[in-house]
Amino acid sequence: MSQGSSNVSSETGAAVRRSILDGVVFAYLAFTLLAILGLEESELVNRVPQFAMMFLGLSIVGGVVSLALNAKGIKTLGWQIYAPPHLRMKSAEELATPIYKSFWGVQTIVLVAVTTAVGIKTTEIDIFKLLEVDRFNHAMRLFAQLFAPDWSILPKAIVKVVETIYIAFIATVIAVPIAFVLSFLMARNIMGGSKIGFAVYAILRTVFNISRSIEPVLWAIIFSIWASFGPFAGMLALLVHSVASLAKQYSEIVEGIEDGPVEGIESTGASRLQVVWFAVVPQVVLPYISYTVYRWDTNVRMATILGLVGGGGIGAMLMEYFGQAMWPQVGCIIFVIASVVWLMDAFSSHIRAAIK
Amino acid sequence: MSEPILSIRNLVKTYPNGTQALKDVSFDVKRGEFLVIIGLSGSGKSTLLRCVNRLHHPTSGQIIYRPKEGSESDIAQAEGAEILKIRRKMGMIFQHFNLIPRHSVMDNVLYGALGSTPTVKSVMGLFSDEDEKRALDYLRLVGIEDKAYFRAAQLSGGQQQRVAIARALTQAPDVLLADEPVASLDPATCHVVMDYLRKVNQELGLTIVCNLHFLSLVRQYATRVVALKGGKLVYEGSPSEINDSWFAQIYGEGAKEVHIN
Repeated sequence: MSQGSSNVSSETGAAVRRSILDGVVFAYLAFTLLAILGLEESELVNRVPQFAMMFLGLSIVGGVVSLALNAKGIKTLGWQIYAPPHLRMKSAEELATPIYKSFWGVQTIVLVAVTTAVGIKTTEIDIFKLLEVDRFNHAMRLFAQLFAPDWSILPKAIVKVVETIYIAFIATVIAVPIAFVLSFLMARNIMGGSKIGFAVYAILRTVFNISRSIEPVLWAIIFSIWASFGPFAGMLALLVHSVASLAKQYSEIVEGIEDGPVEGIESTGASRLQVVWFAVVPQVVLPYISYTVYRWDTNVRMATILGLVGGGGIGAMLMEYFGQAMWPQVGCIIFVIASVVWLMDAFSSHIRAAIK
Repeated sequence: MSEPILSIRNLVKTYPNGTQALKDVSFDVKRGEFLVIIGLSGSGKSTLLRCVNRLHHPTSGQIIYRPKEGSESDIAQAEGAEILKIRRKMGMIFQHFNLIPRHSVMDNVLYGALGSTPTVKSVMGLFSDEDEKRALDYLRLVGIEDKAYFRAAQLSGGQQQRVAIARALTQAPDVLLADEPVASLDPATCHVVMDYLRKVNQELGLTIVCNLHFLSLVRQYATRVVALKGGKLVYEGSPSEINDSWFAQIYGEGAKEVHIN
């Protein structure tokens, strides 16, 4: 009975979602056609509101078309993505039809082909540019200088790269306990029991999804103004990003634990906190360590980039020489960075293999 | 005749997805008996046990619990901290043992004392000397004290289930609930575990409620039997009275009895 009503609501939801998807695909293809017919970028920029309305209108048309097609039994791309599981059984005829002859197959192929064509135009791909004699010779001179590194700045580069490793390490070390606590609050299986729990879960998920979608480079710009240029700003930027990433990765591990031990500990009359500590934590410790080591490794690479925008360490030094076009010095710094990244990568994969 | 330790009255459990696991089930559990619940997979046996220790919450009905003569409470009505207290009094063992595989056997047995240990103390690993002594005693009772400092994962299935029994005993329970305790063990090991359950029942006088699906084990170990079919109670009586017609009613026409030797 309730099974039946939930099927109906899932079918309605799926129909809405697939119509939106098919509608947007339709509007996108129609618009791309317009662009190919010769709309200049300036024209597009000047008339964004009108085009937005047009896009919306075309989407609605496409959505209606999608509804009509699906009602006739012609399955669209939206159907393929959003159909509820109980409708997914395919008829023998459908299984026998090759994908490129089905409606959704053609729809997908057109979509990918059109996007590729527009992408090539937008990227201004021009192979011949690379082969112009002047440009080519210029690039070759630059390479020649990069590959003749000025080793006199090696000591300074080593000191700076060590600074970078420490920045990354401290960001990781501070992020771990914060992410550890957050991971349980961000796991559905731990928090889903009560309404308050679920609210905490939903809020934290949203906040950290947003902060994770802000690139560390942007955080570094913010912190280099707030905390002035230097390693501290770089560390703060890495910290924010690390907490968000680790909390997400950790919480996914928590969501994947086995229920048996949890039930076993619950059956002894243990409190909620005891259940987490004795049944959940033992299952997640090893994967946590593995992710943490990998995070440190990633942070070393990121810290280098952050240095370019004011985060201190080897990146800042690279920026200094790069700005003055001192290529032999840049070559030396690139060599040091590459060596350290390679070493960190080897080291972290060894540790992760050892604790499996 | 003393009062039953548990009286289950009109128990109903409907899951959020609409499945009716228990439909108006009523029966008594007598003090000190070895009660076996039989029935097919999906008949509601596991749900019933989990309602008694409130791992699951009954939809309606009563579970009257009498820890001592003359005192009684309704488990089905318990809330919050009361639920944890009830779980302490209902030890439970599971088909898949549900130990913490990376922790030592001794630690796993001590976790039976979690309910009576303050959270902060337990997290720091500070269990009382008395609890540790009891844990060791029960490990001895189930015959694996020599494995106390092995990781639980290093033990065989039968040994792990004995650790689980010791953990449940460390809770100092009034009733031991066993959910298919031998269903994932081989036939030989299965008798070892059932023998330990009988030992616990007879030597410690602990009341046992055990889900099983092999009738041959039921005849050998049960002092009384109830049968569930499709969430309803269809039989209550002595194991020796289950004849062919009862068997067909519980397991369906055409089912054949399989023996474990």
